[in-house]
Amino acid sequence: MHIPDGFIDGKTAAAAAVLSVTGVGFALKRVRLELPPRKVPLLGLAAAFLFVAQMVNFPVAGGTSGHLVGGTLVAALLGPSAAVVVVTTVLIIQCFLFQDGGVISLGANVFNMAIVNSVIGYAIYRIVSHWLPGARGRIAALAFAAWCATVLAAMGCAGQLAWSGTIPWTAAFPAMTTVHMLIGLGEGLISAMVFAAISRARPDLVIESNEAGPQERAGELVLYGLLITLGIALFIAPFACSWPDGLDSVAEKFGISHRIAAALLPAPAPDYQIPGIHWAVGATALAGVAGALIVFGLALGLGRLLVPKTRNGVPGNQANP
Amino acid sequence: MSPAIEVSDLRYRYHDGTEALRGLCFRIEPGECVALLGPNGSGKSTILLHLNGILPDRLPGDGTVKILGVPVAAAALEAIRRQVGLVFQDPDDQLFCPTVQEDVAFGPEQMGLDKSQVAARVLRSLAQVGLSGFGHRATHHLSHGEKRRVCLAGVLACEPSILVLDEPTSDLDPRGRREFKALLRGISATKLIATHDLEMAVELCARAIVIDRGQVVADGRTVELLNNEPLMFAHGLERPHILQHFHPASPAAG
Amino acid sequence: MSIDWLRHQHGHPDSPLHSLPAELKLGFGFGVILVTVLAPIEWSTWFICAALGLGVTALLSRLPLLFLSRRLLALSPFVLGVVLVNAFEPAGRGHWLAVSVKSVLCLLTVILVSNTTPFSQILRALKFIRIPALLITTIALMHRYLFVLMEESERMRRARASRTFKRGQRFHWRLLATIVSQLFIRASERAERIYDAMCARGWK
Repeated sequence: MHIPDGFIDGKTAAAAAVLSVTGVGFALKRVRLELPPRKVPLLGLAAAFLFVAQMVNFPVAGGTSGHLVGGTLVAALLGPSAAVVVVTTVLIIQCFLFQDGGVISLGANVFNMAIVNSVIGYAIYRIVSHWLPGARGRIAALAFAAWCATVLAAMGCAGQLAWSGTIPWTAAFPAMTTVHMLIGLGEGLISAMVFAAISRARPDLVIESNEAGPQERAGELVLYGLLITLGIALFIAPFACSWPDGLDSVAEKFGISHRIAAALLPAPAPDYQIPGIHWAVGATALAGVAGALIVFGLALGLGRLLVPKTRNGVPGNQANP
Repeated sequence: MSPAIEVSDLRYRYHDGTEALRGLCFRIEPGECVALLGPNGSGKSTILLHLNGILPDRLPGDGTVKILGVPVAAAALEAIRRQVGLVFQDPDDQLFCPTVQEDVAFGPEQMGLDKSQVAARVLRSLAQVGLSGFGHRATHHLSHGEKRRVCLAGVLACEPSILVLDEPTSDLDPRGRREFKALLRGISATKLIATHDLEMAVELCARAIVIDRGQVVADGRTVELLNNEPLMFAHGLERPHILQHFHPASPAAG
Repeated sequence: MSIDWLRHQHGHPDSPLHSLPAELKLGFGFGVILVTVLAPIEWSTWFICAALGLGVTALLSRLPLLFLSRRLLALSPFVLGVVLVNAFEPAGRGHWLAVSVKSVLCLLTVILVSNTTPFSQILRALKFIRIPALLITTIALMHRYLFVLMEESERMRRARASRTFKRGQRFHWRLLATIVSQLFIRASERAERIYDAMCARGWK
């Protein structure tokens, strides 16, 4: 999902950059407040870990392989702000040293993969694990959250491509979302398996469960939520609903040059010569909702699989493979 | 004059409750070069981490550690860390800066020296370990032996009066070991070396302290202790070959 | 992705491009990328000049041609994707040329700058543009320990593979998940030791 340079235009890149800089700046402040000094080197090491972990090939049928992205995993281990910093670091190094993702597009990539992926993944993880108790609940919650986060990040990416006019929304949204609904399955599965293994071997390393209180987290999430909402408003909402048309007429009323307005606004849904494509958007949205329910069910099953009960009904330790 | 290092009745438990150190006592006078010997798991590294206050997590701990007469306490940590230079077992843990220059400069910079003083110390320390001109090299590209020498340089740049080394020659090839031993011989600080390299212990250290299961089991002249085969075998060690071909009292052994 | 590919970093340190100051390369490179992204495809003069300029720079840098072409080829799936999708959308036609040209030029610029500039200088430049210290430390530590962790993961994989007799994907996945989890645990433990080493030399 690393967008190269040239695939998004100036205004999209600028908007995404502003959102990202704000989000990362906020995350750095939170980390400085929350993380004890002993854990500061852990940010850099976790970033190195994430990079190496992303390189591991998890073979899937037919010669393809899955890879971990890991934003939700890191958020579950270290907290959302630390995860934002860690993933941003990985993206920066990937951009400059390995040319994975563009320089101008860095803002968009950070927004999608560091902020949306980590924070939304974390929020869903916490909410769901609140309802589903115990170790199994946490694993199921993480699997589901990682899936959701992957799909939502992909939607953000699609929106950015569409707003730049590179790919129309009606093609970008179905394509990116459906592909990532599949990829997200791998992400959820791998994140859950790794998290389960870490919690078994070294539960003390799962910082997130040991430290921050619910109040602080709520406040933190509100701010990220604002940023993400702004992002959604810019990159997704205009395509999902028809406010560009409304905004267009408002611009006319105020005498703003039509050309400038048109350049800034997302292209309104064009008249299709191929009717099936418009349908694709609706179908994808439906598939998304259905998919979410299915994945949630799968995640519950996964929790049961990875954390077996002992005879007393207390979740026990799985023997080491 | 107060001893360089004075440890009395030092006790320490790991986080899982196991006793690591059980009432250790020893003294090291300024200028001595002492080998800390013992089997794996005897607590050698744990002892070394107490000497500059990294352990215990909350000071003061159980028992007393005094450096140059000053008890190791939270308030005195800065001064103590200037006096005690600790070279860690894994050079990758200690070499955390991107370039050699930055890493060796780390200590002097933390001490608050100005740029020219820092630069001078870096040059001096790199020269001391035979790595002049390595300043611009990236740390992750160095060979194992070079990493170990840069770690030593980084500690020497702080100009400590006490040098504490944790397994400095493990993983080194024979030439690397020879070169490192020669380096250590040339440093005049008080030295405490935890090591499995019994040959080096004989060559460099007049005195040895043997630790087993968190307690001092022997403390005396290196050659005498290492010649004592029953003692060596009882504590997971052995009589090194170098002593099997030399008379214990010959000049080469001590 | 082998470790050797990753170790290839700064080409031949004797090219004229290597000796230029980092700030110049970074600033100029960023400028080129910015203009390339913002310029409409109609400004053919800019794109032609940029292409020629980058071509000359690539020659001056003495970076292996194979290396450059392989990195540039990594863009092809993205470009192909755009082309395919736009083939069905009449509103989208014509974009593919702009996208391909811009992405290739920008990628070439980044490759040239990053492979002729030592990482520590890149860090210094980041410090100069007031990136917060915590982020810079994190980036520096990540870079420093990237190869260490990579080697650890290689060793773990080989050791596990030497004791693997079962076949089957489910087993394989559990194995890989174990390795990844071990990697995190070792990274965390190393982070603690690094903290101790920093404190030992007076870090506050």
